[in-house]
Amino acid sequence: MSTTSRDDLRSSNLNPSSQGFTLWSDARTYRVAGQVIGVALVILLIWRLTNNLFSNLDRLNISRNFDFLTQPTNFAIAENWGFDTSLPRWRMLLIGLQNTILAAGGGIVLATILGTIVGIARLSSNWLVSKISTFYVETLRNIPPLVVIIFFSIAVFSSGPFPVFREATELKLPFSDSNWLILSNSRIGFPSFSAERNISAFWLLFAMTFLFAACMWAWRTVKSSKTGVPHRRVQWSLGVFVVLLVLWFFLLNGPYDWSWPSRTENGRRLASGFGTSAAYLSVTLAIAIYTASHIAEIVRGAILAIHKGQGEAATSLSLSSYQRYRFVILPQAFRRIIPNLINQYLNLTKNTSLAVAVGYAELASLTQTSIGNGAPAPQSILLMMCGYLGLSLIVSLIANVVNRSLRLKDR
Amino acid sequence: MSEVMSNGVMSEVMSAEALMPSKKLSARGWMRANLFNRWYNAVLTLILALVIAYLGFRSIRYLFWTAEWEPVRANLTLFMIGSFPRDEQWRVVVQLLLLAAAFGVIWGSMIGASRDRAAQSGSPFSAEPGWVALRRWWGLVLLLGVLLLAAWGILPLVLAFGCIALIFMLRRIAMRLASKVRIYAWFGGYVLLIASWQIVSGTGGSAWFWAAGLLAFWGIRTVRKKDLTPRLPLTLVAIVGGGAVAWAIYTFILNGLINFSGVGWDNWSGFHLNLIAATISIIAAFPLGLILALGRRSSLPAIRWLCVTYIELIRGVPLIGLLFIGNSLLGFFIDNDPFIDFFLDTPLSQISRAIVIMSLFTAAYLAEVIRGGLEATPRGQTEAGQSVGLSPWQITSRIVMPQTLRASIPAIVGQFISLLKDSSLLSIIAVSEILRVRASVHSQGAFTTLGTAETLVFIAFAFWAFAFTWSRESQRLEKHLGVGER
Repeated sequence: MSTTSRDDLRSSNLNPSSQGFTLWSDARTYRVAGQVIGVALVILLIWRLTNNLFSNLDRLNISRNFDFLTQPTNFAIAENWGFDTSLPRWRMLLIGLQNTILAAGGGIVLATILGTIVGIARLSSNWLVSKISTFYVETLRNIPPLVVIIFFSIAVFSSGPFPVFREATELKLPFSDSNWLILSNSRIGFPSFSAERNISAFWLLFAMTFLFAACMWAWRTVKSSKTGVPHRRVQWSLGVFVVLLVLWFFLLNGPYDWSWPSRTENGRRLASGFGTSAAYLSVTLAIAIYTASHIAEIVRGAILAIHKGQGEAATSLSLSSYQRYRFVILPQAFRRIIPNLINQYLNLTKNTSLAVAVGYAELASLTQTSIGNGAPAPQSILLMMCGYLGLSLIVSLIANVVNRSLRLKDR
Repeated sequence: MSEVMSNGVMSEVMSAEALMPSKKLSARGWMRANLFNRWYNAVLTLILALVIAYLGFRSIRYLFWTAEWEPVRANLTLFMIGSFPRDEQWRVVVQLLLLAAAFGVIWGSMIGASRDRAAQSGSPFSAEPGWVALRRWWGLVLLLGVLLLAAWGILPLVLAFGCIALIFMLRRIAMRLASKVRIYAWFGGYVLLIASWQIVSGTGGSAWFWAAGLLAFWGIRTVRKKDLTPRLPLTLVAIVGGGAVAWAIYTFILNGLINFSGVGWDNWSGFHLNLIAATISIIAAFPLGLILALGRRSSLPAIRWLCVTYIELIRGVPLIGLLFIGNSLLGFFIDNDPFIDFFLDTPLSQISRAIVIMSLFTAAYLAEVIRGGLEATPRGQTEAGQSVGLSPWQITSRIVMPQTLRASIPAIVGQFISLLKDSSLLSIIAVSEILRVRASVHSQGAFTTLGTAETLVFIAFAFWAFAFTWSRESQRLEKHLGVGER
């Protein structure tokens, strides 16, 4: 009976005139009209604004095309990766994007590690540890990240304790003449690897070893599920991977060697090793410790949100404190952490744009410099926005894939 | 919920001694339970105690002896109000007093209202004493203390204690008002808030807008009191009528006869500007955010997609990029357009452009906050509204929205805090907020290299005091409103 009445209703809706309905008494008319009016208003607004933009640009004789991208850059940039000022502007913007990614990547790694540690430490049974982490979170969370960045750039580097690069402090390795760290107020030198010999052979063997280790993982998993013996797949595959890699390394006569940081004769540049500028370090460190305070809250919240009984059940099975965290609490907390963590990663990526204030050559500050050097503002800013949107999209795509693979399948 | 949970985990993490709630631990027992309960905790405690002792010694020595506070002390006025015309400084003083009065009245009325609610439901109620609240706001009190110390004069002292006295006096009066009179107190608080704004900016510009809001507020309250059924038309009449009356008063009386001109926000700077830019932006963003949130959950696909596109586009780009747009592009979009010129006084000043951008930016985030509140409101509420035959407008405005907004207040406060922190970004586009003022302080001959870190520490502390206090308040509100307990 209910179906017939619903059918009646539907037919009356579909055919309003037959029941004495008029067009203006039908809800759908309003729905369609509302949408049409809404969209029309927005289109009208956008059309009007673009019209204004074009007429104002024409009035001021500013170009409306993207020709400026192929013209030479004509200004020097820091953090240039061998960039030459005669190269076209699109190359300059790509370097900006690369520097943004470097700052965001470094920041994400540091912030995740620091944030997780602080978040767990806030729940520690040790009063001192939990108070210190609370202090950290409540201080850093409530200070503008821009102030933190400028603080690092000024108080830690430019007028901080480190000497100028010419008189940089060199920290020596024990029993050796080479440095492991060069500290100055403008550039910091780290050790890096230098490629020596048989590189392609090494990477080929590396890939094969990786595949072999993956097979080992699968084999242990299958064996464990068939026979019930403990799988110990981490030990097996990691062990095989590391042992083989060390073997290849020596058989190929050391394809890579350390490149310890050192300065050139006149002490102006780094001759070897890997150098980062103080600007990069201040941006990355500042954003990392700022975001870590937010991540710590997320981690803490997620652990607190796990039902009390879970921990009690683990304790009643006489699991140790480590086992309780490793096998019961953290796996569940992790699922709650991920979506919020994605958000923080996105914020961190966007916050790298604050590097404008300390002159780290990333996308936003290069765009600003480029506009200052004659590039038309609308197109430059549009490109910059697309760059950040693209980065945001990539970060959230990766994170969503991870999130989906971690989600509970059975609920 | 969070309170319950935290108790749960604390008991789980703490050792057995701490589990006995009835027994008060001795100092020795407390230390055993919280600092030395395991051997590794004992080692950790000892190491950390040494580190803290060292760092504490260094920071105290730095703060009280070695730090160069001279640039801060000498330029305190500059940091607070920047290049605000010195002849007009009294306006800021009166603004502070008016704000204090408004705060006292509204706070007292809130306490009175909850006392009445408690009386209705027969539950016991005791108002929190004022000094307890001051203890909760220790961050701000500390900031005030530091400012007074740095200013070191009798006038700032009188002003500060005058404000505090005003707050507590008016709070005391307002909380004792009968519920019938209290509505006038709310109204008075609102008037004081507007007055605190107008005393600085004069009667130019936005005065009629605020007054319209005031009359609308009055109209809606009156309608609420008598249960008049056609609320929407009456609300509209209140807003439109109020606007018309206010506009007439503004045009013919205030502007024509009195013409109380003031200092427009283009001349505001320093921390004063940070606070005001954040406040105006969140107020201006609210209507758009509400519309976007409702639009995002609308059943009309075209409207939904428009809202989603706006929200996601804004949320995908950094604020500094949008501020670049405001600084160098907004003019291209709206200048030389007769239609827009009719509403706006183009070309907009730099601060106005920045505030427009910050409002548009915040609207997208507020929309997500309000959407969270909408999703926390059970579907059954809407269905119940439908089942008693309410119209969609009535369901939204009288059933869903009150619950949604109540649930999203803490998150809105959070949004306000992050907006205040973001207001420091205005320095990058050369608006003279506090970080920019710092740059000008260090361009003075005496302070080019002196105390560059100390001024930053001071600025960080000023932001921290506000952000910390408000975030505490929003957490308290969250518990108070029972958000998340559903």
